[in-house]
Amino acid sequence: MNQKLYAILRYIKYKWKRLLVVALIIGPGLITAFADNDAAGVSAYSVSAATFGYRILIITIPMTILLALTQEIGARIGIVADKGLADLIREQYGVRISIAMFVLLFIVNFTVVVLDLAGVKSALALFGLPTILLPIIVGLLFLFIVRVQYKTTERFFLITIGFYLVYMVSAILSKPDWGMAVRSMILPEGPFSPKFIYTAIAVVGTTITAWGQFFINSTVKDKHLTVEHLKYNRWEVYTGAFLTDLFSFFMMVAVIATLFVHGVQITGAAEASIAIKPFAGNLAGLLFGMGLFVAGLFGCIIVPLSTSYAFSEFFGYPGSLNEDFHKSRLFYTILLIQLALGTIIVLFPAVTLFSITVIGNFFNGAVLPIIFFFLYRFVNNEKIMGKHRNTRLQNWLLVGGGVFITAASLLSIAGQVLGW
Amino acid sequence: MLYFAELAGKPVVSSDGGSIGKLYDFYFLGSDQPLLTKICVVSSVGYLYIPITSVKSINGTIILAPDHESVEPTEQELSIRTHLLDQQIIDIQGNKVVRVNDVVIQQKPYYVIAGVDVGVLGIARWLNVEQYLNKALAMIGKTVTSNFLSWDDVQPVELSRGKVMLKREETKLTRLAPEDLADHLERLSLKNLTKILDLLPTEYEADVIQNLNVGRQRDLLRNIKPEKAANILSRIDPDEAADILLTLSERRRALILPFLSPEVKTPIDYLISLSATDIGDLATNDYATADPEELAGKVKARLKGESATLSQLSYVYVVNKKKELVGVFNLQELLAQDADIPVYKFMIPNVIVISLTTPKEIAMKKMIKYKLYALPIINEKREILGLVTIDDLLERMEGRLI
Repeated sequence: MNQKLYAILRYIKYKWKRLLVVALIIGPGLITAFADNDAAGVSAYSVSAATFGYRILIITIPMTILLALTQEIGARIGIVADKGLADLIREQYGVRISIAMFVLLFIVNFTVVVLDLAGVKSALALFGLPTILLPIIVGLLFLFIVRVQYKTTERFFLITIGFYLVYMVSAILSKPDWGMAVRSMILPEGPFSPKFIYTAIAVVGTTITAWGQFFINSTVKDKHLTVEHLKYNRWEVYTGAFLTDLFSFFMMVAVIATLFVHGVQITGAAEASIAIKPFAGNLAGLLFGMGLFVAGLFGCIIVPLSTSYAFSEFFGYPGSLNEDFHKSRLFYTILLIQLALGTIIVLFPAVTLFSITVIGNFFNGAVLPIIFFFLYRFVNNEKIMGKHRNTRLQNWLLVGGGVFITAASLLSIAGQVLGW
Repeated sequence: MLYFAELAGKPVVSSDGGSIGKLYDFYFLGSDQPLLTKICVVSSVGYLYIPITSVKSINGTIILAPDHESVEPTEQELSIRTHLLDQQIIDIQGNKVVRVNDVVIQQKPYYVIAGVDVGVLGIARWLNVEQYLNKALAMIGKTVTSNFLSWDDVQPVELSRGKVMLKREETKLTRLAPEDLADHLERLSLKNLTKILDLLPTEYEADVIQNLNVGRQRDLLRNIKPEKAANILSRIDPDEAADILLTLSERRRALILPFLSPEVKTPIDYLISLSATDIGDLATNDYATADPEELAGKVKARLKGESATLSQLSYVYVVNKKKELVGVFNLQELLAQDADIPVYKFMIPNVIVISLTTPKEIAMKKMIKYKLYALPIINEKREILGLVTIDDLLERMEGRLI
């Protein structure tokens, strides 16, 4: 009897699964969007929010649109062509360009990995834990990724996303002026100094990343979603962009209501979580620190994974989270190299994060226009996309977005180098 | 042996001394033998397609006969750059999917594609660092050998130039076991999957389709023209065909069914009408599994203990680390093995399975046809959901048997 019941339950579960196509689709869009709020992102939001206050919230809407737009195009290419971005670059542009792109991507991603590892390290320090835990955590993460199937990794991420709720709680605890916050998203108050404009553009720029574009393509391809899934996938991507930036909004509000209002200046996210405590209470500070920890972990996995995915696509080696270590040895080796090297760098106190941020932004700025070019070419190629090519509006937005991001990264580099 | 990476970009001159341009590409016949038919030259007036018969020499500088003229390639001719280089191929010998890094051309007795290079040296050649790489590796006491695959051992995946009939390809691919080929094809895009299926001889194609996972089978039938879907279905076992059709939406099914010939359609219609009798409620969890790497001796010892708790034990299902069903063996086959033989060496990889949508009648027919006492129910990912035994099935179907 028990067995029959079990079989029936399984049957119901099976039917239920088939009804919920959405459940099958969900994953790539949400995860990639959330990974954009990695430790580097949290730092950028905190610092700019502490410096400029409510008016910085004007970036929320353009940021969301840009993220939704570029991620949707990436996902659409992945679904229709059933190929990753790197697959397409190799097939359409050959070995030499593939190698150049891989080198650029490796450098950009590696700097992001270092920043995220540094985020985890400073989060550990916040909780009074020894730094020696960092290599242990990284080691465990690596083993976890190697041992489990993509499905499990995906679930792990989806659960981790829940932790971003801590920013909402921090924001509520800091008792902000909600009316002002919402108003500032459209009609910001305060002086529009050149420094403000440059920072705002630079922060929007950090939302769109090279690895994000590769990652969404590869994971969508790995899921073998088909054209019927396009509609659902589009909504998943849009929802991901919306939720991600909703949490960015809370994160900035928490900082504004405490640090900006009281005129406290900070240089990073870890500092923010300490500085918040006197104004919003220990819990808010603790939660903010936890958020940083999770954001760092998220980035530490997703970003090096996107490098590995790109490598196996560019050079045709078997590579997927669904293969075991033996079969995808190069895939996992590249993952390990990034994590191990990054950990060593972060453990050296002499390396300043500032210089790494500058290098990272520089290469990200250099590589993004190229990626926008590839996206434009692929998404408008009839042989690849058939009838799912971009509409005229989408093309205008894509080109506009590309120009904007390029300008943003140039400004950001100039700002950092010249010390604006 | 000539490497395309070394030929590309070389100057092309006329034997009367005039410079023509640079070598860009080769065209080859997509038929029996990959004979080179044309060279493509970038010149000041655009691309020129010059028949290989006008090529006097290809070593060093490429020299053309003075009376050469440009002829557009036909549909039968494929381009190295578009259809081969940088694309994925199936390595039939090594049984895997890889990317082409370089194309190897043989000069004698005529210009023909000898094979492809899929190794690191192929990449190094494009960067002109082949010698340095060799020297550097020699210093640490290693050598890299060229990773050359002969044309007989590869199947290009990208074949999109009209309707190209590659006769010999089919015999090449049939050297792979249908389940292996299905494995590779699952990873390709749907477009390329359908193209390669088109190359295969009918019987073999049906075998490969039956071995694709349920998700891919469904994608295939959803995205190809209903006529084509009907054509594929009529070539596979009606039981299997009905099973696959049941995973499609009713609307899609209604589109495909009219294209089936009456003699195929009647049994399939009947089988589909049975689908109301779901099998899920008959499933039991009383089955034994083994890992592909496990040794026969260990399995025997383990089963000795486990058999006490199982109500019946006829087959042991082999399940890999991803929980996918990859094989099966019966107790007799197990007993015949020496203790140190791993399971994957004696298991039967082609498992007869059913899904939750399979009607009881089809399950019964399969048991009778393949002389099996039990069938595993699997899901889209080939994970076992449960087992249906002949006893349970008979009990339930009593009175409905003719």
